[in-house]
Amino acid sequence: MPLIATHSLTKRYPGGVTALEDLSVELEPGIIGLVGANGAGKSTLLRILLGLLPPTSGGASVLGYDVVSQGTTLRQFVGYMPESDCLPPDTTAADFVGQMARLSGLPATAARERAAEVLRHVGLYEERYRPMGGYSTGMRQRVKLAQALVHDPRLLLLDEPTNGLDPAGRDEMLALVERTGSEFGIAVVVASHLLGEIERVCDHLVAVDAGRLIRSAPLTTFTEHTGTLAVDVEEGAQALADALVAAGLQAVADGRTVLIELVDDRPWDLVRDAVADLQLPLVRIEQRRRGLEELFQ
Amino acid sequence: MTAPRATQATGNIYDLGYRGYDGPRLGRVTVGLGLLRQSLREAYGIGRGGRAKIAPFVLLAFAVFPAILAVGFRALAAQTGAGEQFEQEVPIRHDTYQSVTSLFVWLFVAAQAPELFGRDQRYGVLPLYFSRVLTRVDYALARTGGVFIAILIVTVVPQLLLTIGGILAASDPVAGLGKELPEIPRYLAVCVLESGVFSGVAAVVAAYTPRRAYAVAAIIALFIVPPIVVGIITTLSVPDVARVLLLASPSDVIDGVNGAIYGPLTLGGETFVLATLPGWVYIVTALGFVVASLAIVIRRYLTITV
Repeated sequence: MPLIATHSLTKRYPGGVTALEDLSVELEPGIIGLVGANGAGKSTLLRILLGLLPPTSGGASVLGYDVVSQGTTLRQFVGYMPESDCLPPDTTAADFVGQMARLSGLPATAARERAAEVLRHVGLYEERYRPMGGYSTGMRQRVKLAQALVHDPRLLLLDEPTNGLDPAGRDEMLALVERTGSEFGIAVVVASHLLGEIERVCDHLVAVDAGRLIRSAPLTTFTEHTGTLAVDVEEGAQALADALVAAGLQAVADGRTVLIELVDDRPWDLVRDAVADLQLPLVRIEQRRRGLEELFQ
Repeated sequence: MTAPRATQATGNIYDLGYRGYDGPRLGRVTVGLGLLRQSLREAYGIGRGGRAKIAPFVLLAFAVFPAILAVGFRALAAQTGAGEQFEQEVPIRHDTYQSVTSLFVWLFVAAQAPELFGRDQRYGVLPLYFSRVLTRVDYALARTGGVFIAILIVTVVPQLLLTIGGILAASDPVAGLGKELPEIPRYLAVCVLESGVFSGVAAVVAAYTPRRAYAVAAIIALFIVPPIVVGIITTLSVPDVARVLLLASPSDVIDGVNGAIYGPLTLGGETFVLATLPGWVYIVTALGFVVASLAIVIRRYLTITV
């Protein structure tokens, strides 16, 4: 039984906007990245999987439950973190997450305990007793994740969890998502428009564009032959490029960066040796991933 | 010379790691009743900081105060031997209490129904509710029920105080009990219908008006403006039309219910006829208001996009 299965899923909003078009996909448990540009239909898909929205045609099942007819049962086992803001400012995080736990069917005492535990897990400690109106964006995103996790779901649907976060906040949120998937053993679907971000934590990618499925495959098949190795040096970029070309690589200097064609593992060692020989101040070596745009070509 | 040092703490904080939840998961009915209870707490500002408690508790105090006053004076009158006279003159009785406190009841629903319905829409909390165990209908019923019970407390508590006061102040407690007991089902009927109609109307407005200020103004207007309009029509001397039009005005319907149950009110020697149509018409209309309000609120939440 697949974790999520959709067949010919179509959603048209009144007014003629087609959000999803004939989308059929089967997904196995793991950390699944759902990528696509803004408006590609990611949020619509998540909402249909939750039974929040009825599909126009086609169908879907999650954890073996039909999303339309068995929504109530299904939702006991699913946690949802919406993209939009959803926290009342005059309530404390501890109270709010506790209430959400009870709404998921946990008895009062268990709800309180789980709320405290989950908030600690997402990194909220004393702050959880303050009204959420005074929280930073990072704290708010953590509370949103906590309320999705509080009832120990078997599947977590996260809609743009890194929205509005600074780079450090993004890293922490992604680390939390990864821990949730690998350590806690909860299946996760993360929707994001940033492939570079999502590929750091996912093991399976689903790409959608204009409501259609572009590709659904393990992450490794997406990032094979990513193409380019970028080497940043403080100075001597041209000299490095020349040395690498002499060693038989395709390399060009672009400002303080040297871009090297990556077809096998050879360039890594050659770059290391060339930098050492030339005694260049190395800043970083980075494998450039393909952008979303390339993915859709 | 060194001061004796505290023994170094040997405890450590261990991250126990994520733990799953294997305990019971409650069903829809229990969760729905939980939301009802939560709504009642929110209606009184419990769990939402000090400021949220001011309006509901001040209005509750205003609604209860006349009853406390009446009980106090009755006890005083009974001691001075003027009990009989007091019973005849006092304007605060079971049959008049609905009109004594209706203003506070309006203000209470106008202030608190938008808190229950508007906040969830304003702050985008609805997706979190609807992605859990409850259905949209459960949510609508629990929220409306929360307003209903909150306002039922405001209407019933002072009546209960009058009952207790009446029994305790009577020279013969058994006779006092005999006199008060038949009153209980009567005022309970008035309180339930009054709370049902007012909470229903307020819930409809609040469910469709996320902006708090607009919702409060609209609810108060719905209770205050129709009686004025009916009054104008009456003075334009088409009383028959006015009598029927009254049925569209929630506050007049409740006055009529009170009149239907208690008959004409005598206050300071004057008699007020509150029910000019047959009594059952008001009761049926009040029930109609309740059913229609519930249907509209449920429809709102079935169709709202989250």
